[in-house]
Amino acid sequence: MVGQIYNLSQLEELAGGNTEFVNSMVETFLEHTPGQLEEILQAYESLDLATVGAVAHKIKPNIELFGINAIKQDIRVVEEKGKQGLKDKDLEESIKRVELHLKEAFNQLLQR
Amino acid sequence: MNGFKIFIVDDNELYAKASQHHLSLNPDNEVESFSTGKDCINNLYTKPNMIFLDYSLPDMSGIEVLRKIKQSYSETPVVIVSGQEDVSTAVELLKEGAYDYIVKDENAHERMWKSTNNIRENFMLRDEIDKLREEVDHKYDFSNIKGNSLALKKVYKLIEKASQTNITVSITGETGTGKELVAKAIHYNNKNKQKRPLVAVNIAAIPRDLLESELFGHEKGAFTGASNRRIGKFEEAIGGTIFLDEIGEMDLNLQAKLLRVLQEKEVTRIGSNTPIKVNARVLVATHKTLAEEVKAGRFREDLYYRLLGLPIELPPLRDRGNDIVVLAKHFVDEFASENAMGKLHITAEAQKKLLNYDWPGNVRELKAVVELASVLCDDGKITDMDINFNSTNNGLSELMSTELTLKGYNIKIIQHFLDKYDRNVVDVAKKLDIGKSTIYRMVKNNELEI
Repeated sequence: MVGQIYNLSQLEELAGGNTEFVNSMVETFLEHTPGQLEEILQAYESLDLATVGAVAHKIKPNIELFGINAIKQDIRVVEEKGKQGLKDKDLEESIKRVELHLKEAFNQLLQR
Repeated sequence: MNGFKIFIVDDNELYAKASQHHLSLNPDNEVESFSTGKDCINNLYTKPNMIFLDYSLPDMSGIEVLRKIKQSYSETPVVIVSGQEDVSTAVELLKEGAYDYIVKDENAHERMWKSTNNIRENFMLRDEIDKLREEVDHKYDFSNIKGNSLALKKVYKLIEKASQTNITVSITGETGTGKELVAKAIHYNNKNKQKRPLVAVNIAAIPRDLLESELFGHEKGAFTGASNRRIGKFEEAIGGTIFLDEIGEMDLNLQAKLLRVLQEKEVTRIGSNTPIKVNARVLVATHKTLAEEVKAGRFREDLYYRLLGLPIELPPLRDRGNDIVVLAKHFVDEFASENAMGKLHITAEAQKKLLNYDWPGNVRELKAVVELASVLCDDGKITDMDINFNSTNNGLSELMSTELTLKGYNIKIIQHFLDKYDRNVVDVAKKLDIGKSTIYRMVKNNELEI
């Protein structure tokens, strides 16, 4: 993974030039998302796929809002397979990628 | 209008925050966000103008919340916002009365913004229509036809009777007696019609050649210059009332066509073969005496009987006695309040002058005269000096309305000539065939000014 993996242009557009608002959004993102990611990973460990799908559904729009485009499709896969209760290789790989990218995004956003 | 109140119901704090911020960029919007369905429902009493509802909430499903909202506030538009891209869910929600369905993707905020603008515009228009409708209802209330004279009381009774049914009404009366006002009163006091259109057509004001297409409409290409289809006035008035003013001016050819429309209760646009049902109520008015027009061969007898229905004859103002004063006071008050002028008073002499005039232009003329007087008067008092008649007849009726003594008229006449001929006593004496000494004597007695 090289370079910046998030893109705040959508958020900046919404903010209408208000950088304070962007900063507070980033703060909120960093406050909630690590916990949600943890929830997905733990639920996956304990084979609670319904929870995996539900939490993925919740963070999906935030991933789009923060322009973390590399895992836009993956988070959909996690949501769908989770809901269907379908544990397969695709799901496993997608979750891994989501974890990797989100953790990197947290790091980059912290140093912003 | 106060702020436009928007609820955002979403348990995704980040997303709600973004939406709230974005929608608040328009200072007219007052945005509140709630994270649960319960919170939203408990706050519905503050009457939001619209609600953005996330489909998957922690405490209840979107459809439950939607139903709860629609139960008590069926008018409030609810836009569903959801991460679900499932068509069947969307369809189900729309069936339950959701206004719109927005998927949380990169365009979601743009769509929320547009949706808000649409609903707000809609809301403002509806608000305006309600206000205007109220205003119109009030404007054409019976109470707005002013006067207590016996002649008018009869008219009131007829209007009331006319507005209870859909009978054709023919209104006659001199120019300026308020025929259109009566037509409006009949329409707006009819419970079945008042929310439907009142379409007024002044036959005299439309060129003969255009009248037919104006009334009945035409199809594209029906005649040279018919570049578009046009809906006629009869069609516009479907379910409501059509008011044909100055019906006496319609030419015989069109009279025949009108008769057919009234008999068949359907119109056919020019250039079309398909008749369209019209159930509009018909009111007609004319300042002519239609019976005489029939005798003179200018109005079809069959149409005359078809239109006669309930005849209402409006009395000329000069036959309405003290109504003149009542109306004058009403117009003065109205003018004063429209122009923020404070209370105006009409002196007894001025009232006498108004009462003695014969009002060829009727109420319309009275209104013009007293409005002018309101502008000319000083110290909030309208005196006889402020009342000026500009009737098209001649000045004689005005002069006579002052009811002076013969001597008084003499003074007025001689003064008029003196003013006209540069106060040249010799010339004036010659013109009026009186002695110079008569004029000098009157000047000495301060009866004349030179």
